[in-house]
Amino acid sequence: MIATGSLVEEVTFVEAVCAAQRDAMAEDDSIVLLGQDIVAGFPFGATKGLAEAFGSDRVLNTPISESATMGCGVGAAVAGLRPVVEVDFAGFLYLGLDQLLNNAAKMRYMSSGQIRVPLVVRVGQGPLGSFAAQHSQSLHALLSATPGMAVLAPSDAQSAYDCIRWALKQQDPVVVCEDLRIYRAKGPLRRSAAPSVGARQARAGTDATVLAYGAGTGIAARAADRLSRDGVEVQVVDLVSLAPLDVSAIAVAARSTGRVVCLADDSPFFGVGPTIASIATCEAWDVLAAPVLTVSAKPVPAPYSERLEAQVYPTEQSVEVAVRQVVDWVED
Amino acid sequence: MTATLDGLRADSDLALDLYETMALIRRFEEFAYRAYEEGDISGTVHVSIGQEAVAAGMIGALEDRDKIISHHRGHGHAIARGVPVESLMAELCGRSSGSSGGKGGSMHITDIERGFLGTMAVVGSAVPIAAGVALASKLKGAGGVCVVFFGDGAVNQGVVYESFNLAGLWSLPVVFVCENNSYAITMPVAESTAGPGVAARARAFGIRDYVVDGQDVLEVYDTARRAVEHARRGEPSVVEALTYRYMGHSRGDPPHGLYRVKEEVEAWRQRDPIAILAARAGLSPAAADEITERVEAKVEQALAYARGAAEPGDPALYRDIWG
Repeated sequence: MIATGSLVEEVTFVEAVCAAQRDAMAEDDSIVLLGQDIVAGFPFGATKGLAEAFGSDRVLNTPISESATMGCGVGAAVAGLRPVVEVDFAGFLYLGLDQLLNNAAKMRYMSSGQIRVPLVVRVGQGPLGSFAAQHSQSLHALLSATPGMAVLAPSDAQSAYDCIRWALKQQDPVVVCEDLRIYRAKGPLRRSAAPSVGARQARAGTDATVLAYGAGTGIAARAADRLSRDGVEVQVVDLVSLAPLDVSAIAVAARSTGRVVCLADDSPFFGVGPTIASIATCEAWDVLAAPVLTVSAKPVPAPYSERLEAQVYPTEQSVEVAVRQVVDWVED
Repeated sequence: MTATLDGLRADSDLALDLYETMALIRRFEEFAYRAYEEGDISGTVHVSIGQEAVAAGMIGALEDRDKIISHHRGHGHAIARGVPVESLMAELCGRSSGSSGGKGGSMHITDIERGFLGTMAVVGSAVPIAAGVALASKLKGAGGVCVVFFGDGAVNQGVVYESFNLAGLWSLPVVFVCENNSYAITMPVAESTAGPGVAARARAFGIRDYVVDGQDVLEVYDTARRAVEHARRGEPSVVEALTYRYMGHSRGDPPHGLYRVKEEVEAWRQRDPIAILAARAGLSPAAADEITERVEAKVEQALAYARGAAEPGDPALYRDIWG
């Protein structure tokens, strides 16, 4: 059981996701949940107990019809509810993308503000571990490149809770990208009904800056701990929100050390990493002491083999190597 | 008491209302077609000349609390719902006083005050939204019905059937209206759609189905009343209205198209919905002329207004995206 009020409790990321929905639903009876197997809270427990608490009118199991489910979420949002559509794996989200990208993201603009779509989509992203290519995907770049939606990538239990509470108070679509790698990671949670979700410094440091999000924030922080033993102090900034992107926070962070590494878990081609690197470069070019580096995933479909999959995503080691490169960089 | 179809035919006020709505749609579409040629309208337009009875009859049977969602050929639905022709024409001309502020255009008409929730231009894409609007109405106990229009071109999109399934499962107050105008751009229905059609397919989901002569507005109206009444009680339905577009698919398509013969178009024109209503309701030529002149003046005025209206200012580019 998760404690309420201002108490700090140790919970897993997915327990925080569930708690955020529970607390928001208790406050706002226009919130309804739509998704596959959500009454049972299967498969990760993100909606465990919510059907019992709020009834079958507010927690609706849907058939395996991602497109109609997303469209139904759009329509319910247009008509005054606050639906949360759960998509367990990003690979399934493709089936709902016409509704999300063509309708949810564009209806407000196309109607000059007459229509608002306060839809929240929760989607499991990244690798769960040997789930192979269709169940191990990161769609942050595609989602963030579509104007009209907010895209959040929480990095721990607190941030997951805050992102969902915040999302459920917006008037426009929000996609919460939940990294499956950290679903079971425990962390402290202090519940707040009105959290903010901007970029934050996850770790202080003066020698280099790592810009990260989602599971990357923890990877970067652990890499920073290793580097600290050698006297290299790394600042880690958790972006949290990829859309809207806090360009000024990136500028401040990049300028503060002049040595920047951008960490992402999608392709190095047209992915999140190159975009952040380009912004950091443009915002800090006059004070950069080294080229901005990017650490991305390998541009391959996720393999099933544990041995191969371990090579795909950024690790503490790969972040450490990149940080050493920017720290050791000397202009000719 | 609910009137019978014969009773409806004897209701001269209803007939006059429906006649005026259809005449207004017809004139609006003719003007829009011409305004495109004259350069007032950019992009493209999809006109619904020949299909006016479906819009007038279905929407005429709705209440204020009901909602409508439509598709790229949606001017007629907007007009039938009472969207002012000035703001509609201004939208087609890309003006800031248009119904969508000049940012939607012909394919994206919205008028939230009138429960006209928008027109989606990806074929079939509006259908699940209607299920969601109906779900909200049901859960809030609002009593409103959502009517969604789509063409025969949408009936082979999977999401349409996913939506029928949700409507059946959850007893949603929704009416799915297929305007079967015989062609999906150039593709005849017989070449695109296996089996007996979308209404028959609805039966597989345990929801009501109606097939109606889409050129007879009173028949459409009568069916709409029944379908909407059932929907209000949680019994969704599919209405397939058999109709025809006289013009090409869009302004890029010649009036008769290369995919159909002139004789076919002429045969359908013999079953013109406006003429059929005039005959059935015994409308005098003088009364019909009076309405025609009135709607023509209205549309002329709308076009003059739209031509003189301002284009959106630069700040509109970044307005209403997010937050």
